[in-house]
This record gives sequence, C-alpha cells and structure tokens, in this order.
Amino acid sequence: MAVDTNEILEEIRGQLEAIKVVGGREATPESTWTELDVDSLDLVELVKALEDRYEITINDEDLKPIESVGDAIGLTVRLVEAKEGAPA
Amino acid sequence: MPPPEGGVALITGGARGIGAAITERLKADGFTTVMLGRTSGDVQADVGDAASVEAAFDEVRERFGPVLVLVNNAGERQDNIAIQMTAEQWESVIHTNLGGAFHCTRRALDDMLKARWGRIVNISSVVAERANPGQANYGAAKAGMLSLTRTIAREMARKNITCNAITPGVIETDMTTDVADKLVAGIPAGRIGRPEEIAHAVSFFCSEEAGYVNGATLAVDGAMAA
Repeated sequence: MAVDTNEILEEIRGQLEAIKVVGGREATPESTWTELDVDSLDLVELVKALEDRYEITINDEDLKPIESVGDAIGLTVRLVEAKEGAPA
Repeated sequence: MPPPEGGVALITGGARGIGAAITERLKADGFTTVMLGRTSGDVQADVGDAASVEAAFDEVRERFGPVLVLVNNAGERQDNIAIQMTAEQWESVIHTNLGGAFHCTRRALDDMLKARWGRIVNISSVVAERANPGQANYGAAKAGMLSLTRTIAREMARKNITCNAITPGVIETDMTTDVADKLVAGIPAGRIGRPEEIAHAVSFFCSEEAGYVNGATLAVDGAMAA
C-alpha cells in the first residue's frame, strides 16, 4: 500500500515541533532546512524518528541531497516503496 | 531518579573495582543497571572495537531496553616509560580507554537522542591533569576523554543530554595495588580513595537535578591534582 505523503508531512511537522524547531508545525514541503534553521543534529534526530516510524533505514548517502521537507517526504516514500517491493 | 521510559544505565567495565561500586550505587538510586565487560558482566564486548560495541548495544536494547545512562569506565593499564613503551602498548591503551569511550558514547547517543534525555559520565583519571611517569599512553587516553566529554556536552546540551567526567585519584582497586603504597605519600588527603566515593560522584551526575551540569570535570582525588 502506498504511503500517504500528507501523513509523512504531519509526522515531520510533529517531529520538528518536538525538536523545538521554530515554525516546525507550519512547515510545508517547500520549507528548506535553512529556512527552518534545522542543523545537522536536528536532522539526525528527524531521520531517526522517520526510520522508527516507517521501519526504513536512511543512509548518509541518501541524506546528502535532502534540503527540504519535500525532499524528506520524497525520500521516505521511495524507501518505504522499495521496502514493500523487496522480496520477503 | 531513574531515566524515563524504562531506559537502562550501562556501566562499561562494571564487573569489579570502581565499576562494580558504580553499578551498586546506580542500582540503589533506582536505575536498571547493565554491566558490560570484556569477558564478564551482563553483556560482553571489546569496547575498543566498534563492531563489537554495536553488537553489544543491540543485545542490551533487545534484552534490557535503551541505554539512557552510560558510564564509560572500562580501561586498562600497560605502564612503561615512554622511551621503552612499545607501539602495541600505546595503541592498546588508547584503543580501549579512549576508543572505547567514543564507540560506546556514539552508540548510546542514538538511544538518548530518541528519548531526548541522557546522562554520560566518563571515568577519566587524575593523570589526565597531573602527569605520571610511565603512563604516557594511559594519561593521553584519559586526557583525551576530557576533551571528548566537553565536545559531547557542547554538541548535545540542547537535547537534554549531559556528558561529564570524573578524575579519580588513587583508588583502592585491583589496578592500583602495585602503586598505591608509593603514591599515598603524595596525596594531600593522606589516604587512597574508595570506589564508593567515585560512585557517589557518578550518582550526582546521573541525577535529574544535575541536568544543568554539563561538560564538567570533577576531581575526586583527595586534592592530589590541586
């Protein structure tokens, strides 16, 4: 079953809020980490939460081009779909 | 006060000496304790080996829960004056004492970051501050632990994770029986310390009330380095 991008957006907003990112609750797919003032440690924390929530593994290589909330949503969708498409 | 959500306190090298006293004290404070040793304790690992630490932490999480308190106490001594110290003696002590603290810290931070709560206590040594001939490797490793402590503290402070260090003086353990008598004359307190006195300091750093104490080094040495 395809993962809902709105649900991932809500998950990211919730995590950003928990990390105490100012404006995290109102983040949109267009919001960049620079705009949100999300640093590398915040990003690690967000990634760990997404890994736990969607049972995926996000490698450092995957993370390099991720510069916005929308990028993170796209990566999560791709990894969830790859996991579901993988042989058991 | 125990950490939130069923987290455990992991003590490396916790089977004897200072480690055993720390384990007993944290248990009395209400923590679920796990002792990690090379061949003894609840879980086994060579702390200087990153892969071994990864496997051990996986086992700890599976059997006991996430590590929200870490006491880096595992250490070894291979004393020799520098001119006679072999590369193997140097590397082995750096590998275990400093590498071990780093590998365990790096892995424990995964659990602490998720819990948004963590306490790390590094057991350094008075020789990090006051050099002791014959311990170039041990002193360098223990001094390195102080820098590691301050770096982790600065990186993690805003995540409600603290990292502090203790520099014990000469403490009555298996590792110090050969040097204690020689050194006691140089200890202003006029006696060597007890493992329980180190454990008490660890207990303080692990408490909820010490949440604003971060990056500190506490000498528990009878004024030896003062």
